[in-house]
Amino acid sequence: MPPRSLFAKIWDAHVVEELPGGNALVFMDLVVAHEITTPPGALAIEKNFDDRLYDPRRIVAMIDHVAPAKDSATALQAQTVRTWAKRHGIVFHDIGDNGICHVIVPERGYVTPGMTVCCGDSHTCTLGAFGTFSLGIGSTAQAGAMLAGCLVLQRPKVMRVNVTGRLGNGATAKDLALTVIATIGFRGGTGHVLEYTGEAIDALTMEQRMTLCNMAIEAGATTGLIAADATTAAYLAETPLAPTGWRAEHADPGAVYDAEVTIDGSRIRPMVSWGTNPGECAPVDGAVPHDASAASLAYMDLRPGQLLAELTMDQAFIGSCTNARISDLRAAAEVFRGRRVSIPTIVTPGSQAVRRQAEREGLHDIFQDAGALWTHSSCGPCLGMSMGVLAPGMRCISSSNRNFPGRMGDGGRVHLAAPAVVAASAILGRIASPAELIREAVPA
Amino acid sequence: MIVTGDVLAIERANIDTDQIIPARHLTRLDDSGMGEHCFEGLPDGAALLASRPHAKILVTGENFGCGSSREHAAWALVQRGFRAVIAPSFARIFEENAYNNGLVPIALPQAVVDALAHAPRIEVDVRTEVLYPAGGAGIPFALDPLRKAFILGGGYLPFLAGKLDAVRAWEAAR
Repeated sequence: MPPRSLFAKIWDAHVVEELPGGNALVFMDLVVAHEITTPPGALAIEKNFDDRLYDPRRIVAMIDHVAPAKDSATALQAQTVRTWAKRHGIVFHDIGDNGICHVIVPERGYVTPGMTVCCGDSHTCTLGAFGTFSLGIGSTAQAGAMLAGCLVLQRPKVMRVNVTGRLGNGATAKDLALTVIATIGFRGGTGHVLEYTGEAIDALTMEQRMTLCNMAIEAGATTGLIAADATTAAYLAETPLAPTGWRAEHADPGAVYDAEVTIDGSRIRPMVSWGTNPGECAPVDGAVPHDASAASLAYMDLRPGQLLAELTMDQAFIGSCTNARISDLRAAAEVFRGRRVSIPTIVTPGSQAVRRQAEREGLHDIFQDAGALWTHSSCGPCLGMSMGVLAPGMRCISSSNRNFPGRMGDGGRVHLAAPAVVAASAILGRIASPAELIREAVPA
Repeated sequence: MIVTGDVLAIERANIDTDQIIPARHLTRLDDSGMGEHCFEGLPDGAALLASRPHAKILVTGENFGCGSSREHAAWALVQRGFRAVIAPSFARIFEENAYNNGLVPIALPQAVVDALAHAPRIEVDVRTEVLYPAGGAGIPFALDPLRKAFILGGGYLPFLAGKLDAVRAWEAAR
């Protein structure tokens, strides 16, 4: 057998049957089910397939997007998943024990390297950080995985993204994620799995790897993927389930990839998005590019060459499946400590477990002493559903993943950045790097 | 299966699923009630739809349907009357969702799509994989042969249900 990529090994180990047209029937070890996209499939199976599931033990369900329900319609969604999970004996995380699925699934230890995972949620690629093949799908495909244990998939190509050097200069995994998208393009990963390798990747913590893989979908990729190592093993050993019995797979030496790109990690600086997709980003101390698309400029009300640090913000949001884990909150708290926000600021932990850990560390006091709103876990305003939705024309600096037009509310303008940059911007009321605050505090 | 209808052309790249159906409408238990909110996330969405009220064929830019996995985007388009989308490229999840809902995703080179945007009507022969712009010559396209079968009859879930024994046998032998 020729040398294989890590992706190829996981894929090959899960193909039940090759199908016409380059498709395959691919076994799913785990289906993650949340209240927004699960009900249509669950009800279709109940109605047309005698309510039979392939294996309820291979499903984990939770209240995720809107927790608690914001109205009767979302309450009905939650209640539908709740009763469905109970009826089938599916593990279920109800409000109080809930979280964003891409936060709660890894933190509890539900994933192990080599697994395949799917969920009706595009950011399922987050779990590729654990050396799993994890992907977002539609409700019908999720229903198929619950009904027959499999997805029908076109075999994706594999793009190796090699990140050399070490992140420095205040750069974080979020800045790396934005740089990857800017490098390969907003649709540059379409049809591919991004297999991340290199010294900079090896040095990332699991939470940083999740942030990086989380945004693979923002380059159009099927998913991101990082080989498991000692960092992975140490993280999993600390989870409540502390899963054992898994084996770390790696790409074979000499594995051939369909595409390869190399990024110098040591050159990455704190980034912020200026446009209407995550690939439209620049260093925080940079400017709107001169070749910016007219449509993006018009929507964001910007002009070419405008300094990003001149942009005043109306709201700051730290949260989402990208950047709301404990290390993200610690990074934000470090910036907030002893300072005051000058714009409305919302801090939303990625799960209730993250919330409790943050409170054990006193981070909630730091956020609230700074004047920020400290909330329970939810997807919140990231997708414009609740808890901080924008009005037309409002500009929000956000640790989330999408700056699409209207994403956080009709006409709202979103600038994506790492938690520490969001915190610094919340304090100064404009796009700012944490380094500016340090300079401010220690006059030359 | 032949789809014939008016064309709505929205010649923009990267129309994401938040623009096709904003998240505030993702609060139903089933796929109903999406059509009336189709393209609500596009500032001029309502005007565009009103300009071609009976459109069945959407001609649009590359990377159509990027972003969120919400199948609601395919439901909204189908319920609004669309039966085919012609674009230079599609986001993966949207393309899968389109096939699973009988919405034919047709990928053609940008130059061909640009020309089709000016056709008032298009006839799409799904079975032979040829489309005919009004008054023009036939243009061949290629569909995923398996997913095309889901559209022409049967559907995705019955196909998977038919594989249940094979999957159980595979897992037992794993």
